[in-house]
Amino acid sequence: MFILITILILFLTALTLLILRFFTPEFRYSWVIATVGALVGWISVFAWQAQMPIALQFSIWQPSALFFQSPSLIADGISWAFAVSLAALCLAIIITSVVRANFPSPLTWVGSLVLTSFGILAVVADNPLTLVLIWAAIDLVELVTQMRFVEDPRLSERVVIAFASRTIGILTLLWADMVSIVNGQILDFRSAQDANPQAGLYLVIAAGLRIGVLPLHLPYPSESSIRRGFGTGLRMISAASSLILLARIPPSSVASPFTPYLLMLVSFAAVYGSWMWLRAPDELTGRPYWLIGMGSLAIAAALRANPIGAAAWGCALILSGGALFLSSEQNKWMTRALFIGAWGISSLPFSLSATGWNSGGVTFWLAWPFLLVSHAMLIAGFIRHIQRTMTRTGDEDQPIWAKNVYPIGIFLLLMMVILLGLFGWDGTLQFGNWIMGLIASIATIGLLWLIPRLRILNPVRAHWVRPTNASWLEQGYQTLWGVYRQLARLSNTFTNMLEGESGIMWTLLFLALFISFFTQGTP
Amino acid sequence: MNAPTIWILVPIFFGLLLLFINSQRALSILGGVLATSLALIAQFVPIEEAMLVGTFSFKIDSSLTVLGRTLVILPAEGSLLALIYGATALWFFGAEASKTATRIVPIGLMITALMVASLAVEPFLFAALFIEMAILLAIPLLTSMYSPPGRGIVRFLIYQTLAMPFILLTGWLLGGVEASPGDLALAAQSASMLGLGFAFLLAIFPLYNWVPMLLEEKSPYTAGFLLWILPTITIIFGAGFLDRYSWLRSAPELIIALRFAGLLMIVTGGLFAGFQRHLGRIMAYGVIAETGFSILALSLDPKLGIPILFLLIPARALGQAVWSLSLTVIKDQVETMRFGASRGLLRITPFAGVGMIVATLSTSAFPLLAGFPARLALWEGLSRVSISASIWMGIGILGLLTSAFRSLAVISMAEEYTTWERRESLAQMLMLGLGMIGLFILGLFPQIVQYFLSELPTMFEHLGR
Repeated sequence: MFILITILILFLTALTLLILRFFTPEFRYSWVIATVGALVGWISVFAWQAQMPIALQFSIWQPSALFFQSPSLIADGISWAFAVSLAALCLAIIITSVVRANFPSPLTWVGSLVLTSFGILAVVADNPLTLVLIWAAIDLVELVTQMRFVEDPRLSERVVIAFASRTIGILTLLWADMVSIVNGQILDFRSAQDANPQAGLYLVIAAGLRIGVLPLHLPYPSESSIRRGFGTGLRMISAASSLILLARIPPSSVASPFTPYLLMLVSFAAVYGSWMWLRAPDELTGRPYWLIGMGSLAIAAALRANPIGAAAWGCALILSGGALFLSSEQNKWMTRALFIGAWGISSLPFSLSATGWNSGGVTFWLAWPFLLVSHAMLIAGFIRHIQRTMTRTGDEDQPIWAKNVYPIGIFLLLMMVILLGLFGWDGTLQFGNWIMGLIASIATIGLLWLIPRLRILNPVRAHWVRPTNASWLEQGYQTLWGVYRQLARLSNTFTNMLEGESGIMWTLLFLALFISFFTQGTP
Repeated sequence: MNAPTIWILVPIFFGLLLLFINSQRALSILGGVLATSLALIAQFVPIEEAMLVGTFSFKIDSSLTVLGRTLVILPAEGSLLALIYGATALWFFGAEASKTATRIVPIGLMITALMVASLAVEPFLFAALFIEMAILLAIPLLTSMYSPPGRGIVRFLIYQTLAMPFILLTGWLLGGVEASPGDLALAAQSASMLGLGFAFLLAIFPLYNWVPMLLEEKSPYTAGFLLWILPTITIIFGAGFLDRYSWLRSAPELIIALRFAGLLMIVTGGLFAGFQRHLGRIMAYGVIAETGFSILALSLDPKLGIPILFLLIPARALGQAVWSLSLTVIKDQVETMRFGASRGLLRITPFAGVGMIVATLSTSAFPLLAGFPARLALWEGLSRVSISASIWMGIGILGLLTSAFRSLAVISMAEEYTTWERRESLAQMLMLGLGMIGLFILGLFPQIVQYFLSELPTMFEHLGR
């Protein structure tokens, strides 16, 4: 019931804002309503703690002989950590919107509230069926939003490609379900301890596809029109809804001979993402790489049979990342406070990501140096972006109330970074693999010392960042496109033959061939 | 009063009457209301049961004898009639928006009635004649004095007509099989004839090349209606064959043949759709894959397969109606439906563009949409039988999804700073909007159609129990 209360609060707030927007466009207190709704929604997530785990059957699909599962939800420690992070992010987006140039913009708040509702539904999904339904909803919302904003035809093509890659992720998750069924098991997240190892790997691949790690691709290299507020929500919620899957993979189900290879692939993606993040001219340009870098660390944790660690990286991605991406004003205290975000991703004891380096089963040591370097580059990049205040605007033009309200949004996220390290779920108050955290932190300090001294570590200029044209990546996809075109040519030749003047004869010939083939043996 | 009169003769009679009305709106409303009424009566008025309304008592008999042949509609078939006429009503209500009501309503009503007759006639041999009559009636639906038949229509007529002798021969041979069940050669001959007959009727690969040609040449709405009603009822007719003959039902070769044919339809339909550059042809291959899903459902254990087969019907009807209507609206706005001419269409026909994509995604088993639950059940059922078959099904789905993504990329790729300038009428927006909402509702709550579907498997004496 508590899950529904949170979702209802967010949806009703969105609905109220929408009605007000269309019937009384001059209404002046939309922001207050949005803030109160998001605040109550956020507080209501804390109420889940009173009854956890909470299970909720959403609707029962009939006939039951056909459907082994129906949409259902469950709130446990891991989903709570994600849900409270998402609710906090939503509140922070609305609070910090007071300093945005387009303030007030009730429609973007509606978008944030609805997306957060879907995000929370995704993280409390109890089985793959529920998760694919919510993934599909999030993808459609994202598609519609992007289509509405994008003007450049090349960018609209990228939007469709991103949608396609996410859909392939959905198909992969469904395939994991099929693989489980072949082995006589029904895949659900509650009794996932008995999950099939092959299915576990497909789950990792599904999450990797949706985040852009497996295979490495950048769903949204450029997103200028909706960058700060709503754009941050869109990217983070979408990532969280995919990362929850990693936290649901039981340790036993990733014990496969393919795991080391996947781990190596993920390590390379992590190095690429963190390197580009470190050298990005500003935090928003680097955001796709932040997602790839942090997402890779989460996937690597899942592949090391550490679902709690995957969840920890996921929450850190949302909260520390959210705080950084929403910071747009110059403020000395806020710049200092943002170091809490760096602490959150450091994997040091009692930090949010303390469990990030734990390993439950397979430890493929060859991948660890790459992952460690990536971790260090992510923290170093984070600190560098905190300190690059030049990209932020001064707050002199802002009204006094906005100046005072805006930092609350950022502090709220940073407070959550601390809180989730200490309270509420399985990843709290952990020493974790502190040695790795310490090595990564020392490497970070080294990198920060080297940045002004080594030219290669300096940020590239904004116009040099052309992620869409990353030559080797682009070449790979061009080759695939070439194969596709050749296949299309072949298919057209075949259909033209069947539809041409001699088509009927060809058809009968094929029919005779099929019959003779079929009578010779089984397909 | 008897059931064949209500659900066969009355629609034919009204169809003839409606030929004299020219108003699109009046036809759409009249046809829609009539089909809805027939659906409601089928669902709520039991056949072969005495009913008392006030002081008036009546009973709907199940059979009607005409020229020594009997048309029988059993009580268990009430929900099927409701489903068929309900879906027909959906097409008729959308006919005004597609501006095809003057043809589709009167002729469509008669075609529907003839297809129902093909299910009801005894001996079943005569079903082939009713189907052939429906096919012949489809010709004036697709052509006119000003629009002569193209190659697609000619092939449609040839292939569908070729099915008739095979079905008739099957009926004749089956009589022999029943008389001497031990004659394996005769059984094999009759099974082959039956297979060929259904291959022509259901346009199984490679006999489906008329489908894309038809959708390229003619109005997507009228072609879409035919491509819904003909295969849907034919496949139920085919399931009736399986139900009637135990030797056919229990033949392992038949199960393999059905699985092979279904997968071939899904894979070739999906892959060809993925490579097309014409929006109408993409729909054609989507329709082919839809038929493939139904055939594949028949290959499963009947306890699973038959409910899946019926679950596929409402999703197909609604999805195909939305798809056809969307393409009809789009066709009005562009020279051809080739990709080159369809760039940026989303800005001028947003409802039709979105409708087309949503319908394509629904056919491609995209979650949240009407096609998903039935395909999920089918995929799961198939996985239990054969993992390689389920991989092939996945490939087909991937091909269909590719076609949806490519269509979306093309229609959304407008020149920079092109303004949104909607050119759809209110009726078109309303019908497409309602259709899309329906697709989402069916995708999220598939249980709501169980009211109609739950008892349907019992219409088959052996398969459904």
